Amino acid sequence: MSNAVIEIRNLSKIYRDFWGRKKVQAVKSLSMDVQKGEVFGLLGPNGSGKTTTMKMLLGLLFPTSGEMTILGKSASDVSKNEKIGYLPEESYLYRFLNADETLDFYGRLFNMSAADRIRRSDELIEMVGLGKARRRQLKEYSKGMTRRIGLAQALINDPELVLLDEPTSGLDPLGTREMKDLILRLKAQGKTVVMCSHQLADVQDVCDRIAVLFQGELKVLGRVDELLEMRNETQMRTSSLSMEAQEDIRKVLEKHNIKNAQFTSPRADLEELFLRTVRESGERPGRRFSAEEIAASGKGGNA
Amino acid sequence: MDFDIRPYDLSSAATSWMVLVGILTLISVGLSFVLSLARNGVSGVAIFTTGLGSYLGDLFSLSPKRIYALTKLTLLEAIRRKALLVFVVFAVLLMFAGWFLTDTNSRPELQVSIHVTFLLTAIAWLILPAVIFLSCWALPEDIRIRSLHTVVTKPARRLEIVIGRMAGMGIVSCLVLVVMGVIGAVWIYRKLPENSRSQLTCRVPVFGQLYFFDADGQPAATGINVGDTWMYRSHIAGNSRARAVWMFRDVNESSIVTDTIGTGDEAKTVEGLKLECRFEAFRTVKGSEKSVLQGVQAQYTLSSNPREEAFGMLSQGEALRPVADALRDGQFRNGSDRLKELATRVRTTPDELRPADYLGLQNGLAVAGVILKEMKLPALLPVQEKFDAASSRGIALLRVLQTNNATGATDKPPYAEFAESLETLAGGILENADLLHESLPKLEVPLPAFHISEYHEGAAENITVIPRKLRFAADYETLARFLSGIFEKWSEEGKLVEGNAISSGLVDSLQKDASVSPLNAELLATVLNEQLTAGTLKISDGKLAVADGRRWFAFFDDLIRKELLISQDTEGWLIEKDLLTDLVSNGFLRVEVACLNDQMYLGMARPDLFIRKPDRSFLVGYTKALVSIALMLMLIIVLGVTVSCTVKGPVALFFTLTFFLVGQFFHEFMMKMLSGQEQGMGTLESAVLIAQHRNPQVGMDVSSTTSAVLKGADKGLEGVLRVFSNIVPDFSVFNRGSSFVENGFDVPFNDCVVPAVAIFAGFLIPCVLMAGAMLKFRELEAK
Repeated sequence: MSNAVIEIRNLSKIYRDFWGRKKVQAVKSLSMDVQKGEVFGLLGPNGSGKTTTMKMLLGLLFPTSGEMTILGKSASDVSKNEKIGYLPEESYLYRFLNADETLDFYGRLFNMSAADRIRRSDELIEMVGLGKARRRQLKEYSKGMTRRIGLAQALINDPELVLLDEPTSGLDPLGTREMKDLILRLKAQGKTVVMCSHQLADVQDVCDRIAVLFQGELKVLGRVDELLEMRNETQMRTSSLSMEAQEDIRKVLEKHNIKNAQFTSPRADLEELFLRTVRESGERPGRRFSAEEIAASGKGGNA
Repeated sequence: MDFDIRPYDLSSAATSWMVLVGILTLISVGLSFVLSLARNGVSGVAIFTTGLGSYLGDLFSLSPKRIYALTKLTLLEAIRRKALLVFVVFAVLLMFAGWFLTDTNSRPELQVSIHVTFLLTAIAWLILPAVIFLSCWALPEDIRIRSLHTVVTKPARRLEIVIGRMAGMGIVSCLVLVVMGVIGAVWIYRKLPENSRSQLTCRVPVFGQLYFFDADGQPAATGINVGDTWMYRSHIAGNSRARAVWMFRDVNESSIVTDTIGTGDEAKTVEGLKLECRFEAFRTVKGSEKSVLQGVQAQYTLSSNPREEAFGMLSQGEALRPVADALRDGQFRNGSDRLKELATRVRTTPDELRPADYLGLQNGLAVAGVILKEMKLPALLPVQEKFDAASSRGIALLRVLQTNNATGATDKPPYAEFAESLETLAGGILENADLLHESLPKLEVPLPAFHISEYHEGAAENITVIPRKLRFAADYETLARFLSGIFEKWSEEGKLVEGNAISSGLVDSLQKDASVSPLNAELLATVLNEQLTAGTLKISDGKLAVADGRRWFAFFDDLIRKELLISQDTEGWLIEKDLLTDLVSNGFLRVEVACLNDQMYLGMARPDLFIRKPDRSFLVGYTKALVSIALMLMLIIVLGVTVSCTVKGPVALFFTLTFFLVGQFFHEFMMKMLSGQEQGMGTLESAVLIAQHRNPQVGMDVSSTTSAVLKGADKGLEGVLRVFSNIVPDFSVFNRGSSFVENGFDVPFNDCVVPAVAIFAGFLIPCVLMAGAMLKFRELEAK
């Protein structure tokens, strides 16, 4: 029995004008599966067809040809939505509602009982950190807050499959980290997550598998770790080496006919630097950090 | 506006609706199938089937909870987006309207009309723009800013979104309407001048059927045209036998009102039937200023006249008139003779009578037979059978005449057989002359004359309360019937005799029990004693009876003819009759209207005279008018949301506004054009005529082929117009309620509120289904 949550076969989408003339083919014969419990990333430059694919999965667009099943049901079957959560690229919510009313409204669309709606709303508002702003209308929210309430509405029904369109778009690095942590938590809960994003680092951090689309065609599909592995190189990581130790190692490598060995200190990525700075600023307000301090505190990774 | 609107035929409307919706459904499904095939080839069949199945599935899996959620969302949206600001405009209007509306010098009913018209118009036209914008803009805006995406990616069916949107907007508009309605009612009660508040009521009219009699007393289809270009009213000539006759149906206890007549110390409460008229006085001569203001004198006569009903139809054509006049006047022996003469003419010189005379005679005989049968008097059965037999022979004769006329055949019409049946009928009438006279009583109650002025339509002068107990000077026939009725009863009870003489208490009894005046009671007792002495009356078995065995009616009729019962009072023989039991027959009341002034005319149309049933509270009619407005607003919402499911806001607005304006102002015109009531040429033909500077009488200056092509194309355009007229709702129906209330009438529920509900429901169902389908099969993200 297939363990696929999403199955796509020969999916194509052609956008046409009013007269039915072809404007552009956004997706070309796309075939792929998304397995249960994995975090799947759809990558590609602008216009590559990743958002179109996601919208076809959601029934917002109709495929020109091909087949799709989600959780065993046709993409055009509305009942599939009962187990799906969707976070759009922008949070297109009703701006005249407050957070409580928003979650209550979406909860009602799932026919949830009043008690369940209240309980779930409380949990989600707590989870996305909007406890203090829950009574304010969404039109007063910042972009980050809007993304958070958008995420909360996507999870109101405790979905099995979560579709995230640019989940970290508009978020500050802290929010981005929280979003990535959340995605990993969802994965840990056994849920399937499909996300499309331009933020390659984010995708690399959380996705198990990715598909790269270009001009509507599937170019790469596979596990992230396998795709990024550089099999013609070996990396070794130790505590800082003295010059003598480096010379000894170089001789050993030359003995094995390996000539291009390089010895450098590893560098944290900018996200780690930012997060650390924010964290330590919170602990020691008013202090400015030197490059040396930051480099020293970076030892041992980003913990 | 005509307040006597034609009854609404709900079953016929429902049938038309089902046929139309059925046709539209078939066309829609067929078109979708063809489009699916065209776009997807063979696989289009499967796609179409899946889509149809999915749509039908949606229909049966609607969730009230989700619809409620969407309804609540719409409500919140309207409130938080400040749609209720319309109240502010309303409040401002009401605050300052009084400056311009209130005029204590104006007539009270005009004051009421002006205030109510302003209020209902303000309410409707203030909410209308808000509703149109809300309904046309909400969904397209949701789609544009993609709020709808987060809804449709939940288990919400798109049909539920449509219903929720419509319900939410409907509730918003109804809430606004209710609040405005309540504020408006309070405003009107407070703002109306003191002298006008009594006019704030809802009259409940009962309209009748109108017939005319010409100046010679003969039935006529219409009255006289006095030269008005507006043909609405027909006129009757003054000081002639011309009458306008209204036949009211369903007159019963519920029609009786309790009203106060007179003012000050002379005011008294009367129980009776209230008649209100708005005749037009047409004067051919100038009079004094006073007479001009008073207008023309008119008089009502209540009558129960089965002879007119039975034999009136015989009065078609000069040849038949002598027979008809004699029978209508109750001169049955004379009538029998005239009928025999007619039979002789039919037998000997049949061609002197026109086919129309034979047709009129046959119709008249048939109607007389039916009326006599309806009276259900066994004694009349033999005469009724003779009328029927003569009618049957008449039909046989007419058939031959028609066949000869149509085919040119020369078959001999059965004149002799028809003449024989007429002779038999004449014999039957002669034989039963007394019985017919007694069984077909004519009762006429003339009421006091009153004035009709050109300038006081709707004023109190036009209201007449006819007392339930009518006391009037009886004519001889009525007197004979009145006395015979009393004496038959008292004779049976043995009240008339004391020993071998007439009871000495007869005078007292006549005064007390029959309301006969003392002088006339004395006269009657004296005459009866003389008749007893003369042997015309006899006493046997302790009862007073007519000596030769005749009935009391014939006896008194005889006395009256011999002028032995001439009234001793100057007022005549005053007798009392009950309006409902004596003048209303099977629920029908006949009211004749006469114009009394020479050279003057009274103009009247069917709604110009009506029975005013007990008035209802102003709030009853006002509420019904608001309900009609609410239904109109909700229909606009339904149309707006439906259109906005497939096009953008501005386009939806254009469509909805077009529907509303055409339905409101041009629907009646369209229907008149299509039914041929509105004269005119086809579109293309008119265009050619204009271009050629020609008029419709001379026609187009084109070849016959071109003319045929143009007229054919015009027929096609007419077909388009016919389809359009069936699709565009008649919005004027929703304003009828307001017009009634503005003019002080109650809103008739069956003929005004029911059509409004039916039109709304008739559009609601297909629109919801159509809107659901359009939204479901629409790509929300289409580029």
